[in-house]
Amino acid sequence: MKNYFYFHRSFIFYKRTQIFRVMKIGLMLLLVSMGSIYASAYSQKREITLNATNISLKDVIKQIEKQSDYTFFYNEDYIDLSQVVSFSANKKDIAVVLSSLCSLAKLNCKFMENNLVVITSETQQKLPKVSGKVTDQNGQQIVGVTVSVKGSQKAVLTDANGKFSMELADKKATLVFSFIGFVTQEYKLTEENTVNIVLVPSIKSLDEVVVVGYGTQKKVTLTGSISETKGKEIIQSHQPNISNSLAGRFSGMIINNRSGEPGNDDATILVRGLATTGNTDVLVVVDGVPGQLGGLARLDPNDIESVTVLKDASAAVYGSRGANGVFLVTTKRGEIGKPTVSYNFNQGFSSPTRRPHMADAATYATILNEIEYYNNPAGGMNQHYSADEIQKFRNGSDPLNYPNTNWIDETLKKVTLLDQHNISVSGGTDNLKYFTSLGTISQDGLYKNGATNYKQYNFRSNIDANVTDRFKIGLYISGREEDRQHPHYQYYENSPDLFREVYRAFPTNPARYPNGLPFSGIEQGRNPIMLVTDAGGLNKSANLIFNGIVKASYLIPQIDGLSIDGFYSVDKSQLFDKSFKKPYTVYTYDKTNDVYNPMTVGESKASLSESQENDLMITSNIKLNYQKHFGNHDLSAFIAFEQSTKKQEGIGATRTNFPTMLTPELSEGGTAPNDKDNSGSSYEFTRKSYFGRISYDYKEKYMAEIQLRYDGSSIFPEGKQYGYFPAISAGWRISEEEWFKNDVQFVNSLKFRVSYGELGNDNVTANQFLNNYSFNNKYVIGGSIYPGIDLIKLANPDITWEVAKKTDIGFDARLFDNFSVQAIYFKQTRSNILIAKNASIPNISGIVNPYNSESLLPSENIGKVNNGGYEITIGYQQHAGSLSYGISGNMTYAKSKVIFMDEAPNTLDYQSQTGKPLNSYLLYNVIGIFRTQADLDKYPHVVGAQLGDLILGDYNKDGKINVDDKVRSKYGNIPEVTYGFTLSAAWKNIDFSALFSGQARVSQYVLSESGTDGNFFSGWADNRWSPSNTNGTYPRVDTQASSSNNGGLYLNNFWLNNASFLRLKNIELGYTIPNHLVSKIGIKTIRVYMNAYNVFTITKVKDYDPEGSNEQGQFYPQQRIINLGLNVKF
Amino acid sequence: MKSIIRYSFLSLGIFFLFFLTACKKDFLNITPTDRLTNEAIISDSSLFENYVVNRYLGVQLQNKEAEGTPPGFGRGFEYALWSTLTDESIYNNDDQTWLIQRGQLAPENLGIAGTIWGRSYRSIRECNYALKNIGQVNMSQSHKNCLTAELKFIRAFRYVDLIRNYGGVILMSDTVYELNDNFTNPSLFKRSTIAQCMDYVGQQLDEAATGLPLNNGTNWELGRVTKGAALALKSRILLYAASPLYTNGVNDKAKWQEAANAAKDVMNLGQYSLYPDYSQLFLSYSGNSEIIFARYYAIGARHVCLEVANGPNGYDGWGGTTPLQNMVDAYEMNNGKAIEDPASGYDPQSPYISRDPRFYATILFNGAQYRGRAVEIFTPGGKDSKDGSGNWNTSKTGYYLRKFMDDNNPIQNPWNITGLQPWIYMRYAEILLNYAEAQNEVSGPDASVYSAINMIRQRAGMPVLPSGLSQDQIRVRIWNERRVELAFEEHRFYDVRRWKIASETENISAYGMDIVKNGTGNLQYTRKIAIDGRHFEEKNYWLPIPRTEIQSSGGLLQQNSGY
Repeated sequence: MKNYFYFHRSFIFYKRTQIFRVMKIGLMLLLVSMGSIYASAYSQKREITLNATNISLKDVIKQIEKQSDYTFFYNEDYIDLSQVVSFSANKKDIAVVLSSLCSLAKLNCKFMENNLVVITSETQQKLPKVSGKVTDQNGQQIVGVTVSVKGSQKAVLTDANGKFSMELADKKATLVFSFIGFVTQEYKLTEENTVNIVLVPSIKSLDEVVVVGYGTQKKVTLTGSISETKGKEIIQSHQPNISNSLAGRFSGMIINNRSGEPGNDDATILVRGLATTGNTDVLVVVDGVPGQLGGLARLDPNDIESVTVLKDASAAVYGSRGANGVFLVTTKRGEIGKPTVSYNFNQGFSSPTRRPHMADAATYATILNEIEYYNNPAGGMNQHYSADEIQKFRNGSDPLNYPNTNWIDETLKKVTLLDQHNISVSGGTDNLKYFTSLGTISQDGLYKNGATNYKQYNFRSNIDANVTDRFKIGLYISGREEDRQHPHYQYYENSPDLFREVYRAFPTNPARYPNGLPFSGIEQGRNPIMLVTDAGGLNKSANLIFNGIVKASYLIPQIDGLSIDGFYSVDKSQLFDKSFKKPYTVYTYDKTNDVYNPMTVGESKASLSESQENDLMITSNIKLNYQKHFGNHDLSAFIAFEQSTKKQEGIGATRTNFPTMLTPELSEGGTAPNDKDNSGSSYEFTRKSYFGRISYDYKEKYMAEIQLRYDGSSIFPEGKQYGYFPAISAGWRISEEEWFKNDVQFVNSLKFRVSYGELGNDNVTANQFLNNYSFNNKYVIGGSIYPGIDLIKLANPDITWEVAKKTDIGFDARLFDNFSVQAIYFKQTRSNILIAKNASIPNISGIVNPYNSESLLPSENIGKVNNGGYEITIGYQQHAGSLSYGISGNMTYAKSKVIFMDEAPNTLDYQSQTGKPLNSYLLYNVIGIFRTQADLDKYPHVVGAQLGDLILGDYNKDGKINVDDKVRSKYGNIPEVTYGFTLSAAWKNIDFSALFSGQARVSQYVLSESGTDGNFFSGWADNRWSPSNTNGTYPRVDTQASSSNNGGLYLNNFWLNNASFLRLKNIELGYTIPNHLVSKIGIKTIRVYMNAYNVFTITKVKDYDPEGSNEQGQFYPQQRIINLGLNVKF
Repeated sequence: MKSIIRYSFLSLGIFFLFFLTACKKDFLNITPTDRLTNEAIISDSSLFENYVVNRYLGVQLQNKEAEGTPPGFGRGFEYALWSTLTDESIYNNDDQTWLIQRGQLAPENLGIAGTIWGRSYRSIRECNYALKNIGQVNMSQSHKNCLTAELKFIRAFRYVDLIRNYGGVILMSDTVYELNDNFTNPSLFKRSTIAQCMDYVGQQLDEAATGLPLNNGTNWELGRVTKGAALALKSRILLYAASPLYTNGVNDKAKWQEAANAAKDVMNLGQYSLYPDYSQLFLSYSGNSEIIFARYYAIGARHVCLEVANGPNGYDGWGGTTPLQNMVDAYEMNNGKAIEDPASGYDPQSPYISRDPRFYATILFNGAQYRGRAVEIFTPGGKDSKDGSGNWNTSKTGYYLRKFMDDNNPIQNPWNITGLQPWIYMRYAEILLNYAEAQNEVSGPDASVYSAINMIRQRAGMPVLPSGLSQDQIRVRIWNERRVELAFEEHRFYDVRRWKIASETENISAYGMDIVKNGTGNLQYTRKIAIDGRHFEEKNYWLPIPRTEIQSSGGLLQQNSGY
């Protein structure tokens, strides 16, 4: 806490009386600086009693401080506190006492905010005066800025209105304005009396603290690789899912949004790339609770104070769960002062980043003719449609029989709405602080008449109480309801994506017949325009999440620096799912009889299924801390114990054959025994951990830190349950060395640091140390289903932790005041990676994994992967008059290399994964298209190859094309390079920011489900090879791309995209209405803004968004959102 | 001071709470409630039996396999029937079958033919595990004997699945491999000869037959194998073992004699007879004396909903397994003459008149009555042609599948109601055909050969075979009888291979029928190629062992030749 308090060479001398009080001031200054507090100076009238006879003024002030909450600022260089006074007061108001005392001592007492009293000498007032105001870029006054005169000891602080005034000996002096978190600014006076200064926030202030695992640390002495972003930055990406707002803001992070569907648009997050074949989930710690239920993505961005990421060994304090990196989320706390009410409203207009273009009816009809031609060349080019019919598709002369349907237009709206509201009330006194908020999100799907939407309601109440000076308690409660709604179809069939149906639908079919009746669709009534609606019923899920944390800390009186703290948290979530499926009617037109035949989609009677899943996680933590300064030595340490239990219980029930659709309740369904079914499941796992940390620094120049965690997990068998996870790190602030200060003046600060640690990962299925059997009731004997048992998991009695050993070397520097640079080289080796030996255990062993369900083989600690790279962050901040601007950029390169993974013996070198990056593809290399018979004769080819097919390269030059000719792709779908940069500028009341993010060295395989089973993206349809377009750049079409020579049968790199992109992720322009215009109506600030998210994307990928990972290109497109918003504080 | 004490107590109280929860013993040892362990299976005889009975099921190893329920033996009722790899039919929408028809089958491109290997060996291990531990299970010796015999049958059937697809395979005997066994020992990958495999399977089936009950009943319910099933499977493998592919072309009369005897053993049981109505045979859900061993289904444990999967597009079906002209041509005229016979009366422009009644029970053709109307495959305008609705499901061959279809089942929304037809692994007609074929090879067309084959023809409503046929002549008739009688039942694929005629039959193009209605309403029938590129090579007599398996053996496992 003391770290908050850091003054430059100011004239203010702060007494080391009670460190605690100083802390309080420091905190207050910090909070004031953030411009979000308003405190009343005289809020606490205090009466004091004094009886002083001939004692020094200093002692009188001490007595007053003792009796009251007031703190005095003074500089003994200027005022004489040794003068002896006699003074008495009995239960008098402190203001009265002080003013009489000051007049007695011929001093000036000035009451500041928050019980501060500045004592200055009266005599100074005779000098010439300069005054002014200090504001930030938004025009907010900054309280407590140190205004000092360069080359002298003289300085003042700005007052509650950000104003200052001081006397000067020299009217041409240079004033220095410094304040925590802002770039120090100098101003050379030219005889003027008024100076208005705009301070620019510093890129990385030396004084900031940052949240780390189980505590906070000063950034200057930090030795780990830790990135931080503030809640206010996250808010700038106005979209409802925080995981997507983080993209581009951190170095070292790979954040990909794979789907834009409301409620299901969580990004996949990787810290420093892919380093394991096992689970890659990042641990999310919210307000100290590891793995808090509810996670990161759905937190209300308005509630977030900061998000930090532990990228290196610093995460070792989370031991067995730290290997994939740790997100530490801190929610907002109350700040001392009058209640502040803040209201945010955001109206978003959402549309897809890309709407794919599909082949039109005439093109598709031609393609069908080509497909039939290839299957039966003797039949000619018009086996399916005559040229005349194709012409009808083209000219729309017969919309009943020859429609031309653009299914994307038919099913998708151009724009859909999204709004967010948040209101918060915060404030506090010395002893009680509160932050409460309530937020809502409402987001509609893109579908026309669609049933998809997402609604969220969340609240948070964070209360901190100082019960005594030594005992503090905090109660943090938050809750959230996530309501998702989808058309029933989405959860009905194997492929959960409505977009599959939209992209597959044939343009040669109508969406509706000219008379308005809906067409019956591709099969079984799957007409996308109906599927997206609630016609077939709804699936509604309500996820209720409750997080409650009680935290307490106690400073142990007997030993200075010793404290104990702990928390007990209860997380509860309830997922309730209700899915009502009902029949609806579509039509097929019978041309011969000119009638529309109805067809019922779905079972003839409605059915209902409901399920509930309850999760409960209880975490308790106790921690003994020690913190001590001895002269230049600073030591802090803790030891802690933590344990958690997580239980899940689920139940489900279904009922079919509802007599009516009007009663979607379980008890109202059909009555036959087969009409009812139910299910249930539960699991539990537990963890127990002992851990600690020692941090030491000498003069904030040399730093060292050791962490150790001893973790136990119920995932593993007795004897293998516990693992040690140590980490060590050190830092050297070379810029603090005297010789460096003298010789290298353009460097403001420079720190070298290094860390090493071992971290774990236990994120695998439980109970793998036993042979697992489970019921699989599918065999019928005697006319009914028999309760059958299958072995579903073979035992691995030796299963234990996956281990990550991480090394980091880096430096942080600030140059020429305005530049900041950070560069880190990192490397990690993963060993004991828990993977199943799928490749090296032959099927003859009988140990054979099923398709699409849990693997029979247990995970074994066999994998080894190295991962390494570097990350660089550069920032620049500058200002000119009332204009200030900044730019910062980050870039990360991370590459993995498989050292060992289970591969079959004798795997060909160029095909093996070992020695190559993870997630690469094994594909045939396409070297062209067979355009002439000469080509076919010249190149080796597969059986059945014909003109228009892709030429597969004969990699091993053996004259035939077989699997040995497949080669590993250079890149997989995890980018090796990610980067982001932000621009920000402020001019008077206008602010601007922009965030770009991008990725490079990344590939994604996409082969659409095209042929007689689905339409074609126009990229392929328009450029296909055909007998009449022998110059086509795409191969000939085939019955099914998935089993074509040019597609699924010989997976090849023609369909591998370079998925690099650069995206304007976010851009915002804001205007803060000047204070004087709104203060009259009792409003502190009003800010309005326009913002856009995912504005444009530069990429080589055609047809769909490059961020998708679906290999058929079937996914809900990512969203572009235009926002208008309002932020009011009063 | 008071307050200090008070708060110290308060804080102590809170911290005590943490310790309280922290000190629970065995905190990290969780007993799962959703799964069982070895001990549970072996110590509870009913759980053990639950485990044994599920061995009739195999494991799903690829997409579009195991729709509804896990696969059993062979391929059963999946979307693309095994038949679609033969000259019986093609799968209309490909689904990884055309590559096999087109000779593109390779160890790395197995289409739908890649799962038998893994599924069989997994089941063999599971059977071995049960056989190894049955001694410890607390149950009556007589029941143990039954379960042992049942497991041996299942294991033998898995080997039959392996042998008929891959030839000589690796025999595991009773080994139960565990995770940490050494899989680099070359002896593990040594393939036995076909003869050794057949011997082993034959002996296992003998043992099974001894231990199995003769009939199903309350203690041995329908769906579990009986003695007859073991003998019937033995009859099948001995017939295979005597066939040219398995003997390398050597005509070994003794082997044929064994095969004939094995079939005779089943016949002599007196348990089985031909079901009177061929068309209803496949829809009789119980009490069918022709069925020797079948897999049954129930609501909640169904197979593919056949009517929608295979129905014509005009009925909202998906036209899945579509018969080829090649198959249609195999049906004789109902006068007992092949259509090639000028005396048969076959009219290529009225091709569906007066054919073998089994044709009408097996194939939906243009003009056939189906669900209240005539099937319209003709163009222009035919409802079940490309001019009908859902025309992406229109058959490329001009035919749809009729066999197995239950007209009481709805085509629309069948999911929780249909898919219940039994899949017949072995039926008495096969035994008669096995006998006729083997006995003919032993002794030529004696009376018993005629009798066996004529029983089948008479049940079908066909005239008996003319007397006085030579051994070669009657062989051709038996082969064709088998083709027609057992169409779509997973025989043709193996029969053309064991007879070594696949290089001929499987190199004939996949023909369909193009039917054009001219202005006067007359239909014009023209043969056409349904899919281009049908192709068979010598190596295709056996399936390739999956490449992954060769790789994981470290190259120690011998691939079938040619791949």
